[in-house]
Amino acid sequence: MNAPLRPYTLVAELTYRCPLRCVYCSNPVDFHRSRTELSTGDWRRVFSEAAELGVVQLHLSGGEPVLRDDLVELIQHARGCDLYTNLITGGTLLDEDRLRRFREAGLDHIQLSIQGAARESAEMIAGVRSHRKKLEIALLIRETGFPLTLNVVIHRLNIGEIPELIAIALELGANRLELANTQFYAWAAENRRALMPTRAQYDRAEEIALEAIAKHRGTLEIAFVQNDYLSGEPKPCMGGWGRSYMCINPTGQVMPCHAASVIPGLRFASVRDSALGEIWRDSPAMNAFRGDGWMMEPCRSCARKEIDFGGCRCQAFMLAGNAAEADPICRLSPHHAIVESMREDSGSDDPLIYRDAKTSRRLAPGPALVS
Amino acid sequence: MSTDDAWRPRLAARARLKFDPVAKQELILFPEAALALNETGAAIVRLCDGARSISEIVDLLSKNYGNAGREALMREVMDFLDTIRARGLLQ
Repeated sequence: MNAPLRPYTLVAELTYRCPLRCVYCSNPVDFHRSRTELSTGDWRRVFSEAAELGVVQLHLSGGEPVLRDDLVELIQHARGCDLYTNLITGGTLLDEDRLRRFREAGLDHIQLSIQGAARESAEMIAGVRSHRKKLEIALLIRETGFPLTLNVVIHRLNIGEIPELIAIALELGANRLELANTQFYAWAAENRRALMPTRAQYDRAEEIALEAIAKHRGTLEIAFVQNDYLSGEPKPCMGGWGRSYMCINPTGQVMPCHAASVIPGLRFASVRDSALGEIWRDSPAMNAFRGDGWMMEPCRSCARKEIDFGGCRCQAFMLAGNAAEADPICRLSPHHAIVESMREDSGSDDPLIYRDAKTSRRLAPGPALVS
Repeated sequence: MSTDDAWRPRLAARARLKFDPVAKQELILFPEAALALNETGAAIVRLCDGARSISEIVDLLSKNYGNAGREALMREVMDFLDTIRARGLLQ
């Protein structure tokens, strides 16, 4: 009998509202249908239950979590549960007073996004004026005493800026810089052709990043998150589906990762109806791809099945039409040819599709979801 | 190896120590992950308060781990501190 699975990390998506319109946003394309956010009391109960289950890391995310009026209270409660509490923010709504109150409430760490090194290209990606404000806020975050991670989603339009991004991170005194190559889900999948770097761009970027990782070790931790289309390596699906990680969306649905709602037929339980522990253990969606009983060939007999878990279930569905197939990123997948053609398909004159409520209604019409 | 006796190690600002009641062990928590410590590791980290030097830490530890011999203990402590410093968890 295996030890019971224990969640270590909870991503709490407090809201889908956001003042930015980033073309790579990971929120679902139909986010406009999720309108009724969990209450303060709901989240407080969820954080307490999460800590009891064994969660130690809490990421307060969104959308823009700073739009929640109750954020100070939620931080206070999370720290009361002894959760390591990280705020993932675009930064544009922060100011000195708010940062001080977050600090007093016990917030451990802030992860701030910027969209590039140069104002013009960064704001083309964010879809609103924001770059200078973000850099000011980064300094304030450091002055308030918070450790800072700078996160930059990397793609064809900013992949040449890595040296400048490193210089910015060093100048700001960031502790960590995440050079996170775009993962092609949700809004990023809508903009895939515009965002996919060329092979030459990617290889050069990786070379620069690896050199910088070694050079700045001890001063600035740099993470280079791969583009799996170009690296050719299947991603180990959240360290295994429902193994150590869960995400709760603004309406209270509990998911094994934030992208999982693309897989049709999964039934997500809501924290409005059930206790978190019961959902973690027993809900159909959390159990859909646990273990290896669901695997098909070539995964089932593969020596790497405990290493990469067959890759990403969402990507298997999106590219192969069946979430139980091998992730087509794997060269052993019978659908691998589609990945080869998509990775060559870089650059597009089509206009960028910005993430906002109006576009969400256009791309994914439908009534509000009741949960 | 950290033979530097001017170094007064303490946990980095982004890291903190937490006793995990589920697995009954100390964890160093930081933004991306958690590092589980065995009993010796936890005892060392608890002594890293930014005021004590490594020799002082070893002196205090040797009261509890006396039979290991001071030199072996010194090596163990320094190896351990180097490992977690390389992960950016000590300053």
